[in-house]
Amino acid sequence: MTQYAARRLLLLIPILIGVSVVVFLLVHLIPGDPARVLAGQEATREDIEAIRHRLGLDAPLHLQYFRFAAGLAGGDLGESIRTGRPVVEELRVRWPVTIRLTVCALVVMILLGVPAGIISATRPNSVFDNTSMMAALVGVSMPVFWLGLMLMLLFAYYLRLLPTAGSTTWKHFVLPALTLGLSSSAILARLTRSSMLEVMGQDFVRTAHAKGLAERVVIYKHALRNALIPVVTVVGLEFGSLLGGAVLTETVFTINGMGRYMVLSIGFRDYPVVQGAVLIFALGFVLVNLVVDLTYAVVDPRIRYR
Amino acid sequence: MRRWAAVFVCVALVFGVAAGCARKSGAPGVEAPKIKRLVFGLGSEPARLDPQDATDNPSYMATEHIYEKLVDFDEKMDIHPKLAESWEVKDEGLTWVFHLKKGVKFHDGTPFDAQAVKANFDRVLNPDNKLARHGLYAPYVDRVEAPDEFTVVFRLKQPFGALLAHLAHSAGGIISPAALEKYGKDIARNPVGTGPFKFKEWAPGDHITLVRNEEYWGTKPKLDELVFRPIPEGASRVMALETGEVDVAYPVPATEVERLKGNPGLKVVVTPTLRVIYVGIKVTQKPFDNVKVRQALNYAVDKKAIVDTVLRGLAQVADSPLSPLTWGYSPTYTYAYDPEKAKQLLQEAGVKPGTRVKLWTPEGRYLMDRQTAEVVQNNLQAVGLEVDFQKWEWAAYLDELDKKQESPYELFLLGWAPSTGDADWGLRPLLGTDMADNNALYSNPGLDKMLADAAAESDRAKRKALYADIQKLIMDEAPWIFLHVMHQTVGIRQGVEGVFISPLEMIMFHAADKQ
Repeated sequence: MTQYAARRLLLLIPILIGVSVVVFLLVHLIPGDPARVLAGQEATREDIEAIRHRLGLDAPLHLQYFRFAAGLAGGDLGESIRTGRPVVEELRVRWPVTIRLTVCALVVMILLGVPAGIISATRPNSVFDNTSMMAALVGVSMPVFWLGLMLMLLFAYYLRLLPTAGSTTWKHFVLPALTLGLSSSAILARLTRSSMLEVMGQDFVRTAHAKGLAERVVIYKHALRNALIPVVTVVGLEFGSLLGGAVLTETVFTINGMGRYMVLSIGFRDYPVVQGAVLIFALGFVLVNLVVDLTYAVVDPRIRYR
Repeated sequence: MRRWAAVFVCVALVFGVAAGCARKSGAPGVEAPKIKRLVFGLGSEPARLDPQDATDNPSYMATEHIYEKLVDFDEKMDIHPKLAESWEVKDEGLTWVFHLKKGVKFHDGTPFDAQAVKANFDRVLNPDNKLARHGLYAPYVDRVEAPDEFTVVFRLKQPFGALLAHLAHSAGGIISPAALEKYGKDIARNPVGTGPFKFKEWAPGDHITLVRNEEYWGTKPKLDELVFRPIPEGASRVMALETGEVDVAYPVPATEVERLKGNPGLKVVVTPTLRVIYVGIKVTQKPFDNVKVRQALNYAVDKKAIVDTVLRGLAQVADSPLSPLTWGYSPTYTYAYDPEKAKQLLQEAGVKPGTRVKLWTPEGRYLMDRQTAEVVQNNLQAVGLEVDFQKWEWAAYLDELDKKQESPYELFLLGWAPSTGDADWGLRPLLGTDMADNNALYSNPGLDKMLADAAAESDRAKRKALYADIQKLIMDEAPWIFLHVMHQTVGIRQGVEGVFISPLEMIMFHAADKQ
């Protein structure tokens, strides 16, 4: 398994090179000129030319890529066009915030989704089952942006329990984590339910019942562990979409994370920042996938990696 | 067994991180009761606190508190002394002599003197420094001299009547030369000026904190701390204002204004700006080369309906290419809403009904920009034109308009606010032959001459008269569909007083107080 993990980690290199090429081309091909945006609407042509030269944007595209790639190899993502500060420094402040938000949302999602799914599965067609699956349907359908504003309206505006904007204290993370975690927990609840129902109908569960095991043991020890494989997959995939969802959530709640920063930077055509942020998102996504693959082996002994 | 250990580690990790989420970090949020701190929620984060290298209003809103200029604007956009006590103009406008205020110190303790002013202008005038505001001074100022400790002499390349306005521009803020020496280009993160507030800290993406300058030479601010907090999402910004997390919010989205007016805990202040919104007409394109067609477009559009319904009164119909608050403005007239006259003019110009025209607009750049353009579209269709409507993202829009003749645009919505507050900068860049922002591609040697004469005139009364003729000519020539002067909306909580809302779309707190 160590070998497998090492091989997967090595694969990161070509993946990141590929991502760097794609993201470089994408940001440079969308219309809009960073020098123009930076110089402002009032700038003279000379000002714009001077800025373009200072930023190295007057060089041929392939040369610009090689400069970017050379910097990347040395761990240097360049300077933000807008602020003039190293991108690495700008991102260093922000990525832990996004990770914190995403993990908090993940906790919300697991704590709400998995138990709801299990209870629904063990009491199919009960009131709890119908209500929670209905709620899950609503949860999946709600846009993150709207849900965020509604939660803010309720908890921050009417009840004044939590702050509306910012990311400096733990209180600031409660609403965003709920916003982000709720819709994913709905997906997880539905999935856990169906996966559990399927397993509960299998022979070994009947056997377990037949040999007189307690219901609790049957459900949690025998059924749940077998039902978890698809759940783990979805948790891993959802982690990626949570990272993406962080873009919206961070904007609504003014959280100083990577997502909001990246979106604002696209508006400014801050190429180095967008490139750096996308690379880090890609890295995060690939690493999470690796962790998910390795978790399979832990959850299901039949899976072995060579 | 090993597997259970792994599961245990995973669970422990999840809870460990969850506990991490709950860890309280020591940033602001809880305030000590006796500190008078005002939090200002603004739409975008300042980019760099270097007056000579900034181009965005948020940066200037912050630098205006840290730095001071030789001269400054007052509420009516008139110019009054600041770091310069007096000045005189010599050599028929080629030499400007400024006498500086004595006893002023920078925040780092170094004295403010003529050498400091010279060092600042040497910096911005040097093309090798590639500073963003080079173009604001270099075309006019040849060199700056410091004959004695408190006298500064500006030698101009040609007479330039708007020099004071360019010096009053935020880019004219005087930076401590010692700090420039010490920080180099990092001055943008470590600003040191002479202003009433000193820089304390900048948490990127979260807040910038300024504190009162106890050594300030003028009236000291009443606030102990001034916090700039960027909240880009309009609805979130307003909610933060309502809950009291911010004391002042800017801008307030137009859709929220009516609702907030019903909230007794705060007030919404609406004031005019220097920004004129217009639909430019590419005059080199047939049929727009015919002035009758351009006038017809002006008659076709219902400006008042746009102001009253789309903008909910947060604007006023323009009666000049300049805002009434721009120095040099004089009222001309407004093209009445007269679709019949528009049709008649179009017919006279030989424009057949059903002629296709392109109308482009940015979305989200100006207050209700796309919606405004949609009304224009309807109005133009009502007089028989077939309008191809296209909305753009801002950066892409600027890029496309910059292509000028090579781009297929015809009618384009834009806004312009001269950041010097002066008519020269309000008109010449937009309508002078071959100027960078002349997207209408309008070229009139007569107007060019008038603009040059007015710019060179240093007698303010004579200058003003010249601009009156210019505005009349532009109105007659109709290179744009003249729309409206934009207003700005600021939300202020009850108990906050003395907030100065500048027509330059900046909010200032020099005299602000909070109960």
